[in-house]
Amino acid sequence: MTFASGDLLYIAPFLVLALSGILLVLAEAFYTGKDRTALAGLTVAGALSSTVVSVALYRHLGATESRLLFTEMLVADRTGYVLTALFGVVAALAALLAPAHQRVHGWVVGEYYGILLLAASGMVLLAQAANLATVFLGVETMSIGVYVMTAMRRRSKRGNEAAMKYFLMGAFSTAFLLYGMALVYGAIGTTSLVQIQGRLVSGNLGLLTVGTFMMVAAFAFKIAAVPFHMWAPDAYEGAPTPVTAFMAAAVKAAAFAAMMRMFGQYMGGDRLPYGVIGWASPMVVLAAITITVGNIAAIRQDNIKRMLAYSSISHAGVLLVGLCAMGLGSASGKPALIYYLISYSLTTMGAFAVVAYVGSKDQERLDIDDWAGLATRHPGAALAMTLCLLSLGGMPPTGGFFAKFYVFKSAMDAQDQQLLWLTAIGVINSAISIYYYLRIVTTMYFKDPRGEIAPTRSAALAFVMVACPLVILEMGLFPNWWLSL
Amino acid sequence: MNPGAWVLPLILGLPLLGALFAMCTPRGEHTLARGIGIATSAITFLVSLFALAYFDKSAAGYQLVTDAAWIPSVGVRFKTGIDGITLWLVLLTTFLTPVTLLAATKSIDKHVREFVAAMLILETGMLGAFVAVDAFLFYVMWEVMLIPMYLLIGIWGGQRRIYASIKFVIFTMVGSLLMLVAIFYVYVSYAEVTGVYTTDLEKLQTLVLPHQAQVWCFAAFALAFAIKIPLFPLHTWLPDAHVEAPTPGSVILAGVLLKLGIFGFIRWAMPLFPYGASVLAPYIAILAVIGIVYGALVAYAQDDVKKLVAYSSVSHLGFCALGLFALTPAGIEGSIYAMLSHGLTTGGLFLGIGMLYERRHTRRLAEYGGLWKQMPVFAGLYLVIVMGSAGLPALSGFVGEFLTLFGTFNAGDTFPEGYPTYLPKPRLLGAIAATGVVVGAIYLLFMFQKVFFGPLDKSRNGQLADLSGREKAVFIPIVILIFVMGIFPRPFLKRMEPSVNAFLGAYHAKLAEGDGPARLLSEQFGSRSRRAIERIRRGGASPDALPSPDTEPAGAGAPGQLAPRGQP
Repeated sequence: MTFASGDLLYIAPFLVLALSGILLVLAEAFYTGKDRTALAGLTVAGALSSTVVSVALYRHLGATESRLLFTEMLVADRTGYVLTALFGVVAALAALLAPAHQRVHGWVVGEYYGILLLAASGMVLLAQAANLATVFLGVETMSIGVYVMTAMRRRSKRGNEAAMKYFLMGAFSTAFLLYGMALVYGAIGTTSLVQIQGRLVSGNLGLLTVGTFMMVAAFAFKIAAVPFHMWAPDAYEGAPTPVTAFMAAAVKAAAFAAMMRMFGQYMGGDRLPYGVIGWASPMVVLAAITITVGNIAAIRQDNIKRMLAYSSISHAGVLLVGLCAMGLGSASGKPALIYYLISYSLTTMGAFAVVAYVGSKDQERLDIDDWAGLATRHPGAALAMTLCLLSLGGMPPTGGFFAKFYVFKSAMDAQDQQLLWLTAIGVINSAISIYYYLRIVTTMYFKDPRGEIAPTRSAALAFVMVACPLVILEMGLFPNWWLSL
Repeated sequence: MNPGAWVLPLILGLPLLGALFAMCTPRGEHTLARGIGIATSAITFLVSLFALAYFDKSAAGYQLVTDAAWIPSVGVRFKTGIDGITLWLVLLTTFLTPVTLLAATKSIDKHVREFVAAMLILETGMLGAFVAVDAFLFYVMWEVMLIPMYLLIGIWGGQRRIYASIKFVIFTMVGSLLMLVAIFYVYVSYAEVTGVYTTDLEKLQTLVLPHQAQVWCFAAFALAFAIKIPLFPLHTWLPDAHVEAPTPGSVILAGVLLKLGIFGFIRWAMPLFPYGASVLAPYIAILAVIGIVYGALVAYAQDDVKKLVAYSSVSHLGFCALGLFALTPAGIEGSIYAMLSHGLTTGGLFLGIGMLYERRHTRRLAEYGGLWKQMPVFAGLYLVIVMGSAGLPALSGFVGEFLTLFGTFNAGDTFPEGYPTYLPKPRLLGAIAATGVVVGAIYLLFMFQKVFFGPLDKSRNGQLADLSGREKAVFIPIVILIFVMGIFPRPFLKRMEPSVNAFLGAYHAKLAEGDGPARLLSEQFGSRSRRAIERIRRGGASPDALPSPDTEPAGAGAPGQLAPRGQP
């Protein structure tokens, strides 16, 4: 085993995030001022420089080039760098949401920023993982960071409950993951995904199947697929809004990045997923019930964060459709997933930014009725939220529509009977979802305001609220460039 | 680039630009926002007249085509074009929008700039749906219409506006999403056959799907369009939406939006899936007839004027659907003509109701009476519109109704091939539908009588002022057009004719392709459709316009219940 120092170049996004994360944690220890805004600035700088590095590496690599790093521990390819760039951007957005929210809601915790970047570094590992060990490492680095962030409002009972639930469920899922990996290792004798791919057919089928199913279940926990979703609404509700946004956007995207690598790329292709190790058969069922249950549960929510939590569950279902399509050999599966992840992440960040904006001191205004008449008093915020909701609901001309269009197209490309049904289920669910997304729009536009809303004013927050809807509009109108990524 | 290709992109872009400008005006500047709205939509109308000027009336295909790459990686193009059918619908849209905006200056007094922006975005959506020759573009535009209409009802609507707006959106969404699945199916099937992904309608039309798939896909499209028309029993959203919508919303809804349902059948569902259309056509025609009679009877029973007109729309749009599914040239031309006429007359009816409501704040018939003495100008102009709607000869409604009924009666032998014997004959359908004309005249005159005749016995009606100059400016163009369309139908019909014949020819020729796996049109298609068009021109749209046995493709021998028979 040799250490190739040249490989360090290809993990530069990880290094940038990890180092700046450590630096920020240290800085917090020595920081004397009360205001932590400076830390937020540093975080944005660190996150964005990792994005810049990712973009540079993306351009440095050829379109189909794929380099294995550190004796098949990590892999460098364009798909990975698109996703690492996305994680950098989402981390930067999450950092922008924080200062004003911390100030107004009284949870000024400087560690937020350092931990945010460390968690993002775990996500980068997931996007570049080529070995079960790195997948595990990435999952843990990311999750532990997010558990801590969920609990950052120390005095809030809700927050503590959320963090506890999230942590316990997460610990279970990690155990599943580890056990599944151990079984796969037992069956094949290696943890390198590249070699697993080559030896899939020769391994011990029983062990492989059980191992794969356990890994599917573990990731189902992470992406909150039904029936492993119970923690999500509580965790989303209890966590501070910037953390919720980060959880909904980046954690989900990172889990999908890992699944794309493991299932879509290395354990997929041809008809393998249904056959020998069969991860796609449970995944198809998971996708169908996730989309449906997520949507139907969302209809009944009165709390915006819980509604968005259930909506993100149903989005995970749609993403699973894309994953199955990719695994079953649909050529458009991968670009569809990437497009969906980008559009979904930015939309979610935008929507939670508005949630953070609407809340004011001692009053988070999470009840949908609290948003009555928002359009009269704060038309910009209402418009931003409307665009985000329409995108989540898949209405043209937003990115969300095209994301769904492309995922369902890739599912039909796979020419698989089950995926055809999944597409129909997914499309019908879009109609259901419109109902609850429009409920918020209805409240904002059609109902009369009840009392003043003194929103959380902050330039950083406003920037996120303006930038995200604009980008998703651009993505919807001119998706071509995004599809070529 | 063909001459005049700039017209369509321009009329799509102008309203959007206007919407952007309107949103940029300061919040209190209502007059400015209104001015921007009226000016942009009026300019859009003038520009759309260029489409008429550039239009070649003897050609059947798409004209003024713009075709640009939009999303090359999935084969989506920004492709727009008009034919003899869309030309008129486009003009109707661009005509009604400025008129409506002009009429709304008084009734809409809150969130004016948002209102103007919503109306203009709605205009772009409607025009886009009419001129799109690309399935993706069409679907996007179809959905783009939805949100502004939802906002129009929800923000500026009446008491139960929230219920009505949500109902409107949910009904429409459910239909259009199933349509999306069918679009997917066609899109992917085309790629399987040719290896090329495209959403270009002209290319997709060359695909022949297996019969069973055609029935399913047609049903999915038909649901979307039938909700929009609305066909009985999917019409329940319409009275709610109309009653709660503000006047401009009702005008646009009845004037243009409903037409998109019929138009969708002509442009999308029937050319793509002719076999599915031929199987389901009798049932749709029966539903249309039920709608005609039911709508008319329910309209007669209303006390709320707006509801009366809303149900009259159900009845009138039933005529359009019936004429279309009679599948004769006269029926289809009548259907389109009736749509145009309905756009004008119902638009006018709603505008008039809006003006009364602004003065009296009630829509109950019982509250009115004797207004002729008080508002003679209004009464005179309104009489023309009411008569136009009732189908009085020399006014626009007559031509459309006459042609649709004529077409339906003539569909005797042809409607459609293999028409199941247990269903009522087209003549019977036509006869029942004709009673709708009678009831239509009754309820409309009844309404007119209750409002304008009789004693002026309600004291509050005594102070009503007659039309202002602005209101006259709203009504007079409509009334003139109703006369023009009633007296000179020829220029309109002449421009539709080639397109309608080509539509029917292609429909019959594609139907003759028979069952089989998904494939492209056979080589005989061109000659078949030419022959079909030739027969249609000579006056017989009978099914033996269809292929003679020697050209029957070998694979068409599916135990083909409804496969067209060639024997004379």
